Amino acid sequence: MNNTYLPSDYLPILVQFFLAAAFIGGTMIVTHMIGPSRKSKLKDDPFECGIESVGDARTPISVKYFLVAILFVLFDVEVIFMYPWAVNFKELGMFGFLEMLLFMALLLSGFYYVIRKGVLNWEE
Amino acid sequence: MIPNPNIPEVSIPSVIQNIPLQHYLILSTLLFVIGIIGVLTRRNAIIIFMSVELMLNAANLLLIAFSSYRSDPSGQVFVFFIMAVAAAEVAVGLAIIVMIYRNTRNTDIGFLNKLKW
Amino acid sequence: MYPIVLLSFFGIVTLFLGFSKSKNILLPATLLFLIIALAGNFLEWNKGPLLYFYDMLRVDNVTLAFNGIILLSAFMIFAISGGFQDNPDSEPAEYFGLMLFSLVGALMMVGFQHLIMLFIGVEILSVAMYVLTGSNKRNLRSNEAALKYFLMGAFATGFMLFGITLLYGATGSFKLEQIQGFASNMQVGSESYILYAGLLLLLIGMLFKVSAAPFHFWTPDVYEGAPTIFTTFMSTVVKTAGFAALFRLLSGSFTGVYGFWWIVIAAIAVLTLLVGNIGATSQNSFKRMLAYSGISHAGYLLIALTALSKPSQNAIIFYSLAYSLSTICAFGVLMLVSKEKTIGGQPNEYYDAFNGLAKQNPLLAFVLTVSMLSLAGIPLTAGFWGKFFIFTSAAERGIIWITVIAVLMSTVGIYYYFRVIISSYLKEGDLVKIRVAPFYKVILVLATFLTILFGLAPGIFEGLI
Repeated sequence: MNNTYLPSDYLPILVQFFLAAAFIGGTMIVTHMIGPSRKSKLKDDPFECGIESVGDARTPISVKYFLVAILFVLFDVEVIFMYPWAVNFKELGMFGFLEMLLFMALLLSGFYYVIRKGVLNWEE
Repeated sequence: MIPNPNIPEVSIPSVIQNIPLQHYLILSTLLFVIGIIGVLTRRNAIIIFMSVELMLNAANLLLIAFSSYRSDPSGQVFVFFIMAVAAAEVAVGLAIIVMIYRNTRNTDIGFLNKLKW
Repeated sequence: MYPIVLLSFFGIVTLFLGFSKSKNILLPATLLFLIIALAGNFLEWNKGPLLYFYDMLRVDNVTLAFNGIILLSAFMIFAISGGFQDNPDSEPAEYFGLMLFSLVGALMMVGFQHLIMLFIGVEILSVAMYVLTGSNKRNLRSNEAALKYFLMGAFATGFMLFGITLLYGATGSFKLEQIQGFASNMQVGSESYILYAGLLLLLIGMLFKVSAAPFHFWTPDVYEGAPTIFTTFMSTVVKTAGFAALFRLLSGSFTGVYGFWWIVIAAIAVLTLLVGNIGATSQNSFKRMLAYSGISHAGYLLIALTALSKPSQNAIIFYSLAYSLSTICAFGVLMLVSKEKTIGGQPNEYYDAFNGLAKQNPLLAFVLTVSMLSLAGIPLTAGFWGKFFIFTSAAERGIIWITVIAVLMSTVGIYYYFRVIISSYLKEGDLVKIRVAPFYKVILVLATFLTILFGLAPGIFEGLI
């Protein structure tokens, strides 16, 4: 495998980047030019379902979303320990496998605790 | 003890080394100082917290740079640990902020303005 | 090594015990866990230096002695918590689980040989403490303390991490031995400056955690706002672990650059002594006074670190033990007395809560008096010998001026420690007889007994290590 890259080797990435930017920019400009635009108060409403919108969009969100999001962050980040293990899976062998099983068991015991606590119980 | 498994020699693409180490050092130090200034001058708990995260990430960046230049993976392993621990800290910190919000019913966390540090 | 593995496992078990119907088994179970951990700790006594986890953890008699102090303090604190039965809102299983986990972190800090271990230990300890500080969810003071502690703790962690990063950049390793090897044979150059900067930042982070001035400002607020039982935990276990970690760091890695850091630590020690003692005199709240007294005791311990001579090691161990025992007594009595009267829904933690304590509760007054005498460093208590050993270690290194300042400051200490003794013996008050659970009494008496025992015969302890 070739491990030495010159800056010119990254040119395709740059081209790809410009193409993506150009596509987004281009479509936005073109839709503005060719589409009809009528402005009225009703058109500017966030929802247009025939019912007048009530209140502010920034209402407090149920704290359950917060709990689930935080739990997601916690369990999500633990996966990074599996990347180096997966890369070196063969070298680490049985010992590494058992260690990872232990790690997963500890992680899952935390998950089981969360379930028993009823945090993921949506309808109370 | 179990014998240390053979860790293959890590080679770094030479293009990374075209950027001198000093640049990483200066960038990380700048980020770190910005984080400190943020913690010391801001009065909103969430922004202080973001500044702390900036400090941690400055350390992460510098660790990766040192690790690459020394061809030594232990620095990168440390970054994994920092990321995992930072996630745990985020969980606890946000929970504390939410707890205060529930008691004071204040989105702006004006609560912090009353504190004398 | 055994207590680390055991306590991690027991912590999880404790969490799941919380789901069982009977809440009464929690306290006996956790006390049993701690006894098992203590026994496991001393299994390795005199086995010589052992290295575990790919040389990341070192177990020798110093480690075991610090572990012993931490586990013993934890045992006493768990015992006087009474299983958190008095508060219906409390979640005993979680509190005990978190405290067991935080003990794991403390033990990792004591025995670390690798900076990753130090970082993880500090974080396990701190994150658990943030939660416990805010455990009184409905109380705004507790909330405020938790937020302050969390933000300042995370800030300190940032410093620590950047320091570790710079040390890694300079030396190319996280291992204490290799850093020591590099620091001893270092040439003056860009790498030495990076090493110095890293060491300073790491020290700032660690000094934050042990609440040394000028990084102490969070301490009084957090100690006051947190539930008293967790304040006790913070001021004993966290402080002991922090100083054990600082001692291991400085003695294990940086003896080669002693000329660089000793003056920094000496200056911080003097400042800490001044701030702690002078701050404590102006307090009206006993709990807040104990927080400032904790700062001043950090100053004394820093003197032993400044000297880093042969007696330093024993001095730090002995001082931590004496300080922990007296602090547990002081907070233990405070918890009982403050419940008697409330001011605006808060427990009365002011000095006047102790008025007339001796009349109806002679035992509590005696326990309180011994602990105050020990904290002040009066002879015939363990605290006196703790200070004596620390001053000896400074004299060994030939730093006399710092000892003079410390002795002056400990005379200031007599003023504020005696205020509460005067309140309890000489002032009139209408305190009724306080009902004390038998187990609670046993723990207080045991701690008092040990304080006097080590005060009469400090040699018992010195022969051990």
